[in-house]
Amino acid sequence: MSNNRALKIILMSSAFLLVAACLSFAKTSHKEYRDASPEDCRECHTGSGVPENHGAFFIDTHRVLAEKAPGNCADCHPQSFCLDCHNGGGVTPDQRKSLSRRGEYMPKTHRSDFISIHPVKAADNPRHCYRCHEVTFCSDCHSRQIRQDRNSMDIKPHGPTFVSPGVPNPAWVSDHSASARRSLQSCQGCHPQKADCTNFACHPNLQGR
Amino acid sequence: MRIIRIVVILIAVACVPILSHAAEGMVTSSTQALWYNDFQSQDTDQNDIAQYLKLDVKKLDKEGKINLHGYGRVIKQTSTSVESRPEIAEDTYGRMYYFYLDYRDAIKDHLNFRAGRTYVNAAAVSGTIDGLYLNCRNLGPVGVTLFGGRNVLFDNKTEVGTGGDAIIGMSVYLDTVKNTHIEASYGRKYSDSDLARENVGLDFSSTPLEKVNLYGRMQYDTIGDTIEELLFGAKVAPVEKLILRGEYFQSHPTFDKYSFYSYFDVNDYDEVSITAEYQLTSKYRVSGKYAREDFGDDATANLYGIGFLARPIKDLTLNASYENRNGYTGKLNGFRVNGVYTISKAAISAGVDYDDFHRESSRDGTAKKYWAGVNYALNDTFSAVARVEEDINYNFDHAYQGFAALNITY
Repeated sequence: MSNNRALKIILMSSAFLLVAACLSFAKTSHKEYRDASPEDCRECHTGSGVPENHGAFFIDTHRVLAEKAPGNCADCHPQSFCLDCHNGGGVTPDQRKSLSRRGEYMPKTHRSDFISIHPVKAADNPRHCYRCHEVTFCSDCHSRQIRQDRNSMDIKPHGPTFVSPGVPNPAWVSDHSASARRSLQSCQGCHPQKADCTNFACHPNLQGR
Repeated sequence: MRIIRIVVILIAVACVPILSHAAEGMVTSSTQALWYNDFQSQDTDQNDIAQYLKLDVKKLDKEGKINLHGYGRVIKQTSTSVESRPEIAEDTYGRMYYFYLDYRDAIKDHLNFRAGRTYVNAAAVSGTIDGLYLNCRNLGPVGVTLFGGRNVLFDNKTEVGTGGDAIIGMSVYLDTVKNTHIEASYGRKYSDSDLARENVGLDFSSTPLEKVNLYGRMQYDTIGDTIEELLFGAKVAPVEKLILRGEYFQSHPTFDKYSFYSYFDVNDYDEVSITAEYQLTSKYRVSGKYAREDFGDDATANLYGIGFLARPIKDLTLNASYENRNGYTGKLNGFRVNGVYTISKAAISAGVDYDDFHRESSRDGTAKKYWAGVNYALNDTFSAVARVEEDINYNFDHAYQGFAALNITY
């Protein structure tokens, strides 16, 4: 069923592309400008009608541009330029970059003590984290912290409470479900196993693994 | 064995320019000592030695169509750390970021391809693969990309994943209409040979009027039958030197197909943001941002930010920014100031980060970071970089970290 829907979307998109293909225009290659300064870019773009894009918020907005075919970024940047931020590389070590607790170079977006502020910053567009980190990145640190010293995580107690044996407190149920709906992805950090949710017989017939 | 394999490949890569007389090669080497703090280790002071190597060989053929690119590193952890996962408990780690052959115009004006370990990206799916990336250009008004291979997953210092992790994908794009790009993409991710993700992506950007740029993005999760990500934006330059941007972004949390988390109901995340940046003069720029975040069930947050960039004299660049966030998950109130000054062959930089935060479900606190660094280029071949940092925060009263690196480019 879902495959049929995907097929329909692809067919409709392809049809749209062909209908839209009514003009022919040579796309500008930026390879010859790869060594130009941002000021030089501005001079050209000011008169071209296309606003420059490497501005104050380019760290926030570059993703959409970078994911387009055929990959304009490569006109000026080698792949290492991307990977040194996204995957902790450092062949051209940057004085402005801090190190993580594992000794990896962190992107400049990871300000002050990111371990302390990450629960707040991760909420600003929850998908940001997963553009670089696998789920195991969270659970690796959280699970170890739980084993070593659960209290030092300073997370508000959120285990189930019961009004009588086997009967969960309605207030807890409400709070728990609202929190899970808002930020279910963050639950994976400490609760990667299905058993974490089936332990208390709250979700006894949970599918998946 | 993996470490040895990576070392051998790196050395072989470095020798390619010698063996290939027609080629132009450039090798970048960086030898580094790093010291840092791991609050989870029994001994919080940690030390590494790292060797990075990057190689770019161009013009492997007479026409200059074939190039080779490689980038990797080996790290030796000289201190003791206890890891929770046995697979990353070694003290020497190797990582190959990429190593691929880049063949431009394999079919003149129609086909470029990359073969080997390379990064691939599309709106539907992205990642590093050991495989093949094809870009078929000028097929009438459109181009087509096709890619596939083993999905390389990088984690703390090393690689994780199995031979059953894979990515396949394709995109059809149109950029022959003036200042317009339209693209449809499709991608799948496999984990342990099981289908984990299947996405369709749609991209659009156009500059229909001078100084007005419109763009959009949709990522559709066909397994969960839901729109995973939706973005609409407009960038306008109403007067010279002023750029305004407005965006609507929506995302829906999704999980791998086999994950039990995929069976729970979740809320959408909605964000409306506006930004402005104004180039006061060629030396000064100011910027501001506001974002309204909505997590559903009446949970919201407001984010404000302002920034200032100054180049008061030729060799000095200063950056300052302030951010205030208040709402669901907590409050953050902080600033960052840093600058870099170039003196002849040296660049000296320094900065301060300060954040006052309140985590809604846990604690309050402040975090301070003071850092300074220097980069000195002895000549075109040799340069050195060093950085020191002091951290004062919840985990450390006074902790010091940094690195020193010797870079060689030839």
